[in-house]
Amino acid sequence: MIRCKQLRFAYPGDAFELCIEEFSVAVGEAVALVGPSGCGKTTLMNLISALLVPQSGSILVGGAEVCRYPLPARQHFRLGKIGLVPQNFELLDYLTVRENILLPFRLGAGSGVDGRARERCDELAGKSGISEHLGKYPDQLSQGERQRAALCRGLVTAAPLILADEPTGNLDPGNQDRIVSLLLEEARRIGSTVLMITHDPVLLPRFDRVVDALALRKGGVS
Amino acid sequence: MNLGGVVFLGRRYLGRNRVKTALLVAAFTLVWLLPAGIALVVAKVESHLRVRAEGTPLLLGQAGSPLELVFNGLYFTKPAIATLRHGETEAISESGLGTVVPLYARYAAANHRIVGTTLDYFDFRGLRIGEGRGLINLGECVVGAAVGEANGIAPGDSIISTPETLFDLSGVYPLKMRVVGVLEASGTPDDAAIFVDLKTAWIIEGLGHGHEEAAKLGDEAKLEDLSGAGDGTVRLNASVVEYNEVTEETVDAFHFHGDTSDYPVTAAIVIPTSAKGQAILKGRYEEAGGLQLVSPGAEMGELFATVFSIQDLVLRLLGVIGMATLAIGSLVFLLSNRLRRGEFRHLRHLGADPGTLRTLIAFEAGFVLAASLLLAGAGLCVLQVVAPILMRQWLV
Repeated sequence: MIRCKQLRFAYPGDAFELCIEEFSVAVGEAVALVGPSGCGKTTLMNLISALLVPQSGSILVGGAEVCRYPLPARQHFRLGKIGLVPQNFELLDYLTVRENILLPFRLGAGSGVDGRARERCDELAGKSGISEHLGKYPDQLSQGERQRAALCRGLVTAAPLILADEPTGNLDPGNQDRIVSLLLEEARRIGSTVLMITHDPVLLPRFDRVVDALALRKGGVS
Repeated sequence: MNLGGVVFLGRRYLGRNRVKTALLVAAFTLVWLLPAGIALVVAKVESHLRVRAEGTPLLLGQAGSPLELVFNGLYFTKPAIATLRHGETEAISESGLGTVVPLYARYAAANHRIVGTTLDYFDFRGLRIGEGRGLINLGECVVGAAVGEANGIAPGDSIISTPETLFDLSGVYPLKMRVVGVLEASGTPDDAAIFVDLKTAWIIEGLGHGHEEAAKLGDEAKLEDLSGAGDGTVRLNASVVEYNEVTEETVDAFHFHGDTSDYPVTAAIVIPTSAKGQAILKGRYEEAGGLQLVSPGAEMGELFATVFSIQDLVLRLLGVIGMATLAIGSLVFLLSNRLRRGEFRHLRHLGADPGTLRTLIAFEAGFVLAASLLLAGAGLCVLQVVAPILMRQWLV
């Protein structure tokens, strides 16, 4: 699903440089990306989702070198191929939970907000236990409920690749387990590949593979 | 993002932040509406006042403020202006230099001015009776269309003049007048006036009156001749019944003391027979110290030259305030967008391109601008309709 080779990226005017010799994730694999803060986990994720373009090397996602695509195609790729689950929920406070979950369709994913999209939204909300909150606004929800809503939004398009950036970082252990269970079960059910950044060692055994970003930068392959 | 998505997000954002949106729309609406509204109202007032002023060739009155004379003679306001002798108006008629329509617009009934005049006034203004008939007898009145409509007055009803000094027992008693006609609406101050014959107006003033015949009264109503003059003059005391209505039975009892040439009128419309006549009359009254003969059109022109210069200043100030409001509004947008930076970044991560985000911001700003312009337009339409009504209430 993901194949990075001789990747090199540096932010302009910044000493930080991310160099990865080789990194790959198979289709349907669930990979946990670990490592200390500032080691380049989020940067790698942004490179894979084509938000950043590497100075050299290649990133193939689903066989396509997306980062070389023009901007509109990269956006189209993100909408269609990637389900994004951010750490800080990133729910729009002026949309209801249902509208937030369906947001990717409003932005152009699939065929827009149709019956199937609504069914999928209801299904995910039911599985994550937030069905009764669909009409509420994010500020009326608890932290755990917001993260579940953000997870539903990441999963709603049934994208082949799910990128989760510390989705359990702000949650208590109970909610952490619930979120990861839902993420991995749903990804397995629809055959999606999962790449999730986490700092929590308790969650690692749930993944097919654990990659240390620091070791990756040094050229190692986990 | 498709346009539908942009509209959806923009609509939801504005709806969720409706107080902020409403305040911005209200502020921008005022920026557009105030200068346009002022210009509209001034233009309406100008055309309303100018038409009547320019339709009145000359106006004769006692020396003083020409504008007050114009407002009394044309719009029946300023009732307290100095009067001139009726004889002055008769002198112009007799000179053959012009036709004169005297006006005595001093008293009122409720909120409506009672205008004492002659039948020539109706011809001059092109006023037509819509219901009933015109003035024939003393004590009758013809009301304007607005008076009839507002008070449900029809021919056969009565109107009582408002006493000037309620507690002055020796003052003028109110006169009960019979309504014999209602004028067709003309859209002018005539609609809000009550027209009576000049003599009826003088009766309201107390210059003419009717009372029980002295010869038929007993001694208890007569005052003793303390002067001892023995000239045969009968003096009556306050027990004599004074009539407050001119009826068929009392009309013969009404009479005027003294020479009616000395009776007052507040203004007189002068219609010169020729340009030469007009020039002679103007020259004559330029020299006459006590009187003034003004051209209402010219007076209104001067008034509006002043009004327009003030309006210009006000519009400039409003322009500055408007620019400041727009700048503050723009600042609100900029700060709001800065606060939403995280939201925009996440939308970009999800797949929205920068152009779409710019469209979203433009949609929200455009909505506020369009809504304010629409509201300002609606406000102008309302002003267009309401301005004439307000003018009738405030100006005439």
